[in-house]
Amino acid sequence: MRKLLYIIAAIAVCIFAADSARAAELRVPQQATAGAAITIGTGGSGEGTLIVTGPGTMIKKKVKLGGEVTIPGEELRHSGRFTAILEGDARSFYIAPAPPAKLNFLARPSRVPVSQPDVISGVAFIFDNFDNLILQSTPVRFDLSVNGGSALSKTVTSKDGIAWLKTNSASREGAAQFVASVGNANVRRVIQLVASEPCGLRMKANRQGNSLMVETDPVRDCSGNPVPDGTIVTFIQTGGGQGRSTVDARIKKGIARATLPAVPGATLSVASGVVLGNEIRMGGGL
Amino acid sequence: MIAQAGNSQAANSRMQASIRWTVLLLGSLLVISSLVPLVLRAFAADEGARVQLNFSNAAPRTVEDSTQNAIGREYAAAWKNLAEGLANDDLSKINASFVGAAHDRFADQIAQQQKAGLKTKYVDRGHNVNAVFYSPEGSAMELRDTADLEIQVLDGGKVVHSEQVKKQFVAILTVAEGRWKVRVLEEVP
Repeated sequence: MRKLLYIIAAIAVCIFAADSARAAELRVPQQATAGAAITIGTGGSGEGTLIVTGPGTMIKKKVKLGGEVTIPGEELRHSGRFTAILEGDARSFYIAPAPPAKLNFLARPSRVPVSQPDVISGVAFIFDNFDNLILQSTPVRFDLSVNGGSALSKTVTSKDGIAWLKTNSASREGAAQFVASVGNANVRRVIQLVASEPCGLRMKANRQGNSLMVETDPVRDCSGNPVPDGTIVTFIQTGGGQGRSTVDARIKKGIARATLPAVPGATLSVASGVVLGNEIRMGGGL
Repeated sequence: MIAQAGNSQAANSRMQASIRWTVLLLGSLLVISSLVPLVLRAFAADEGARVQLNFSNAAPRTVEDSTQNAIGREYAAAWKNLAEGLANDDLSKINASFVGAAHDRFADQIAQQQKAGLKTKYVDRGHNVNAVFYSPEGSAMELRDTADLEIQVLDGGKVVHSEQVKKQFVAILTVAEGRWKVRVLEEVP
């Protein structure tokens, strides 16, 4: 019985020793970075075939056992978990992304009215020089400016490679520069800020014979930006025993004009989109 | 009297026949109804890897039902295409589901495999996926995937390494060519 126990213990020691010896055959780096060379140590003697496999990588090399094998950085551009395989032995190691160097930036929308809450969104994806996503938290700066004036400047810390924000549109119209930056990398997008709905829409009317010339004051939004030419303004005439007549006119050089038949006792009103302007009752001087 | 008895026997046998047919019909319907889900499941399994998805943590935008279905379908298909692409050095499978950095990564791998005479085989045992980000304008989604995989490395058709692993991935999917495709597939350390 005692002999049997000795034999079992001896076998266990042999297995442990063999395992330890095998473990010593392949030494992989504890830390590695994408794009940087690594060195893998091998044990034993003679020749062997080393395979290094990982995301986007499959390297096979004939190596002399007992020495070190260097794999150049240009062959290790992808980050992730790698495995080195040598004559039945395998060891894993992780290659981390290189420092942040690139951004993919989604900015929406490309055209938006001024002074609207939470209408502009920016999403930045952070990559290293080899297009590996940087999963480590990284500060990303977002800047929004219109005609040289800053409308927003905010730093957002990324999570799982993404930093994003939603913000209001500025009150001034123009081509807004929306920039996302991380380190020395920055990406610029242009968002066209256009005037919002007309505000304080007013018209005046002048009688010319049997016709009535109606025209608006310069049409502006609530922030004072001129509403773009081409926007439709509707003049409506009701009452006076002539039913209802409407004329759609486009804003031209900031003002909309139309000619209507002069109907005594009729009421004139003006509207653009959902915005109503003033009313004028015909009679008296008109 | 005899004629009456004959009529009643004929009526009985007609009734029995109709009962038999009804039972047979009901039985057939039962068999068909039990087979249909099995057949559907068999075809569904062919669509891609087994993917269990959870969209409840996606922010800042809520994921629409149609998008949930599309993401589930396309992400499962992406893993199936990845496994087939790497197993057979078939770039068309990679083209079908991957764009951008992820596409370049696996295209590189296929090129290197071909050069070295190696192959990678993924035995996909399933994915537990959480959607963690859905962009405000709805064009990009980030998933966190815990994948159960067996990875084999083959040299000249002979398995030189095989390991069973549970890996965590971050995947970014974007809409490309009218479909959701994987733009980034990054392993979490």
